[in-house]
Amino acid sequence: MITFENVGMRYGMGTEILQDVSFSLEKGSFHFLTGPSGAGKTTLLKLLYLAHRPSRGLVNFFGKDLATLHRSELPRMRRRIGVVFQDFRLFDHLTAFENVALPLRIKGAKKIQVADHVEELLSWVGLEDRMHAKPATLSGGEKQRVAIARAVINKPDLLVADEPTGNVDPEMSRRLMHLFVELNKIGTTTVVATHDAELVNAINAPVLSLDKGKLSLTRAPDHSDEGQ
Amino acid sequence: MWGRTLQFLPNSKDREGLLPWVIGVMLFLCALSVASAVAIGTGVERWSRDLASNVTVQVIVADADERSRQTDAALTLLRATPGVEHATLLASADVMALVSPWLGDMPIDAGLPLPNLIDVALDGSTQINMQALDERLKATAPAARLDDHQAWLAQILELATVLQLVLTAVVAMVILSTVAIVIFGCRAGLATHAEPIAIMHLMGAEDSVICRAFDLRYLAHGIKGGIFGIGFAVITLWTVSSMASDLGEGLVSSLAPESSVSLWLLSLPLFAAILTMSTARLTVRSALRDMM
Repeated sequence: MITFENVGMRYGMGTEILQDVSFSLEKGSFHFLTGPSGAGKTTLLKLLYLAHRPSRGLVNFFGKDLATLHRSELPRMRRRIGVVFQDFRLFDHLTAFENVALPLRIKGAKKIQVADHVEELLSWVGLEDRMHAKPATLSGGEKQRVAIARAVINKPDLLVADEPTGNVDPEMSRRLMHLFVELNKIGTTTVVATHDAELVNAINAPVLSLDKGKLSLTRAPDHSDEGQ
Repeated sequence: MWGRTLQFLPNSKDREGLLPWVIGVMLFLCALSVASAVAIGTGVERWSRDLASNVTVQVIVADADERSRQTDAALTLLRATPGVEHATLLASADVMALVSPWLGDMPIDAGLPLPNLIDVALDGSTQINMQALDERLKATAPAARLDDHQAWLAQILELATVLQLVLTAVVAMVILSTVAIVIFGCRAGLATHAEPIAIMHLMGAEDSVICRAFDLRYLAHGIKGGIFGIGFAVITLWTVSSMASDLGEGLVSSLAPESSVSLWLLSLPLFAAILTMSTARLTVRSALRDMM
């Protein structure tokens, strides 16, 4: 579904942040992305959620070569990708409901559809009684659940999460990871960048490890529990 | 809750709150300049029309009897000239009144050899060759001088044209300054709202969605500024008009805006709003094109 081949990335004339990165994400797969600070995780994630184009190499998204993709085609492509940030990046002047509704409104969904979907999704993340609260009045865990709801409201093919548990307590981390696993089970390809070894160890999923701009697969998927 | 436009931009009164005021001040200057340029044009036209229907003949000769004889001859010629409605000799008291600002009040019989002045009203429908009339006057009354005010009027027209050009330049500079201010404001707004814009892009928003949010915001700034500027300009012009009308007819009273000009001025807030919105749209579109 998504393929990176010998991808390199540098900002301006600086050194290469990513060097010859190659991997592919199959539909419905779940990957962790780990690595020390400065290894290039955020840059790789930015390429994954189409915030940047690579400096070199081939990137294929949903069967289309990113190099030949016209700028006007990007919005449609981006709607197939959900993004969750460590710092939530919610619109502080909008309520939880309005934040989650934004991707649908951008797509031009009808008001009634928006209301149904948003309410359903906020209930799923356990925020049905906080729908009309603004981010300033929500806890870190609640904000991240709003952000997850916003990321998945369009039923994305790919969900990218950048340190989604970085600003929440361990118990909330587990609950959030559970949401990601649930989403992955219904077919959403998921990439979660994290430093949290405990979380990585808790879920049997391949780990993409970045170190000094080079990517390696440090844990192949364990299929021993498949079919359980 | 939602209009057709997704207003994802937070309110930033602290950063953009002054923009409507700046637009208002610019529109105020623009309105005053436009009103002044139009009024100068109207005033000069009115003057030209008034002066074109009148000429003055001076009979300048020291000897009173000779002056009187040549005046009579000139009057006879003028009254017989086609296109002259009437020719009237100004009374000595009226001539004294004309020179009193320079010479002060003095009795009519002070012995000062003042010229005789003949006020000639033209009917306006018959074309008169002034040069030929002047020559015939000189043949009849050698001391007669025909003044059709053209030399003086040409200077006034020249001055008025220069003033109008200056005012037009002022209007152009004010408009360009407004555009520049809106561009700066818009760029600052884009920098301030860089993160919401990036998030909107990541959620799949097209540039048009982002542009519309800015359009609406800057349209509102333009309308607010326009109403403030034009309101203040109308009050100013109305005050000037009232004060000028107390002075009576003349150049000053002609500077008061006419009703048609006032109506035109009232459309300026719309112009300001469209100018502001269009500038913002172009600026934002251009900036967004540079983003991925």
